[in-house]
Amino acid sequence: MSIKRVLVANRGEIAVRIIRAAHALGIEAVQAVSAADRDSLAAHMADQVVVLGPAPSKQSYLDPKLVVHAARSTGCDALHPGYGFLSERAALARLCAEHGITFVGPEADIIDALGDKLRARAIAEDAGVPLVPGTDQIASAADARKAAAKLGYPVVMKASAGGGGRGMFVARDDASIDASFDRASSEALEAFGDGTLYMERYVENARHVEVQAAGDGAGRVVHFGERDCSVQRRYQKVVEEAPCALMPEALRSELHASAVKLLSKLKYKNAGTVEFLYDVDRGAFYFIEVNTRIQVEHPVSEQVTGFDLVQAQFRIAGGEAGALPRQDQVRLARHAIECRLNAEDAANNFLPSPGRITRWAPPAGAGVRVDSHCTDGYLVPPYYDSMIGKLIVTAHDRPSCVARLADALDDFAIEGLTTNLPLLRYIARHEDFITNNFHTRWLEQTLLPAFEQSIKE
Amino acid sequence: MSQATPADIENLVELFNRSDWEEMHLKTDGLEIFLSHDPAARPPGQAAAAAAPAAAAPEAAPAATAAASEPHMAPAVTAHDVVIPAGMVAVRAPNLGTFYQAPKPGAPPYVEVGQKVDADTEVCLIEVMKLFTPVKAGVSGTVREICASDGQMVEYEQVLVIVEPDA
Repeated sequence: MSIKRVLVANRGEIAVRIIRAAHALGIEAVQAVSAADRDSLAAHMADQVVVLGPAPSKQSYLDPKLVVHAARSTGCDALHPGYGFLSERAALARLCAEHGITFVGPEADIIDALGDKLRARAIAEDAGVPLVPGTDQIASAADARKAAAKLGYPVVMKASAGGGGRGMFVARDDASIDASFDRASSEALEAFGDGTLYMERYVENARHVEVQAAGDGAGRVVHFGERDCSVQRRYQKVVEEAPCALMPEALRSELHASAVKLLSKLKYKNAGTVEFLYDVDRGAFYFIEVNTRIQVEHPVSEQVTGFDLVQAQFRIAGGEAGALPRQDQVRLARHAIECRLNAEDAANNFLPSPGRITRWAPPAGAGVRVDSHCTDGYLVPPYYDSMIGKLIVTAHDRPSCVARLADALDDFAIEGLTTNLPLLRYIARHEDFITNNFHTRWLEQTLLPAFEQSIKE
Repeated sequence: MSQATPADIENLVELFNRSDWEEMHLKTDGLEIFLSHDPAARPPGQAAAAAAPAAAAPEAAPAATAAASEPHMAPAVTAHDVVIPAGMVAVRAPNLGTFYQAPKPGAPPYVEVGQKVDADTEVCLIEVMKLFTPVKAGVSGTVREICASDGQMVEYEQVLVIVEPDA
């Protein structure tokens, strides 16, 4: 391993995850923290801790210069950005490269190219990857109405420069375009500095599927199977699983091949995920975007393949020969499901509920994994996102995996603050979830109303 | 509150940290607490008794410099006490960076021990990726100690300079 010491430029469970992977490879970990995270689990596990700045992210985790300065000052030769925060900022990768620090991720130019959704679509199209029928940039509601007439309603408008649902809306007729276009455009302008929108055909019965892949930077790309992340609320994933059990085998092979083709063409380096919309009714998939980071839901792919993806990231970044397995060495077996545990009140409009965890008693047993930074007495600070951990269960097939999930959620005890455990338990025991009969809007349209009703009763 | 336990005080500090308050001053029988985000702040009507916000802002660890950092067994999270003598005020780092005593190499330092300063006197520079930010004393008084060495990495809230305020 050529990497000797890595700066962990993130917090929470992923910081813990990165430190574990680093230590397993004999790499020292320097944890960069904000003032609010001085006493975090990652800070205790790391070989060294540096305090970047005060609690607000902008003055700590979100400042590329501060983070790279910390890496240089502590003698780090690599930097792992985790997910969120600066992980998909080309500026950080560029700054690392300028200062001789190995960025554990793809090159800055690749992050730039794939971060711009219109450029990413053009790259996918060029690689022969199917796109959802859509348009180029649209500047006005009038143009949007014309484009929708060609595509056929319903359509969805999205921001060219960003994601996370900002600037996004679904239109079922001309009137809803007129009602939402200007507001969505200014929302995109505010969030991403670019108010440009584009339009796509809207798929009613959609699954969100994504292919986990990794490349060696010389054109060889290996995939680690697909994940189904269709249980979402406001475009935030809540439950993720691998594989997408209802996808026919032939279509699955095509899906994997598409992702590999796209990333090979770019000579993509390190771990990445190609996201697709799976149109269940038509038996087709369409490219959405590429995420150029390790993702929150990477553990389900680790569980079904047996590979440690964060260790793989380090080995690829360190230029280790054989860091990337041969495709035939990646065998997809078993089923895995991940739930995101959040400190939020699902019964009260998902209000964040930071505070002191007085008891943290995660489940254990065969096929049960918990990735978390929480412990008894841990204070969940109010400054960051509300995820407090992930429960990942694995079993030989989906029905037994769902049953194991329900049991593990029942065994999970968290006291002192409100969490989304009741919601997750409700999902795991819902008939639609058990029978794998849902789509990307099922949680909002069907499950949440039923859950709210169940609380009242 | 006269029987305040350490846990009570911890809760208060937590409450303060989570609030958007600038300062908190609490005085009851046998107990006085003053919390502030401003290192130079004082409780009203009192010159010096309250040190800088002790629990709210733990002393930052004097950082290991570039090559020297052997892995610590126990991470320096709130350790490395820099004792601020009674009546003194600490000027702390506004963020992580490199500490410089002088505006450029070879130039005389901004301040030396024994020197008089006022609130607006610049006492040092903190550099982050070639961006140099001056740090002001924040209080008028006399420099009693310079706690960081030139070119050293300092962390957020690390004590840089100790000033004895004017009476």
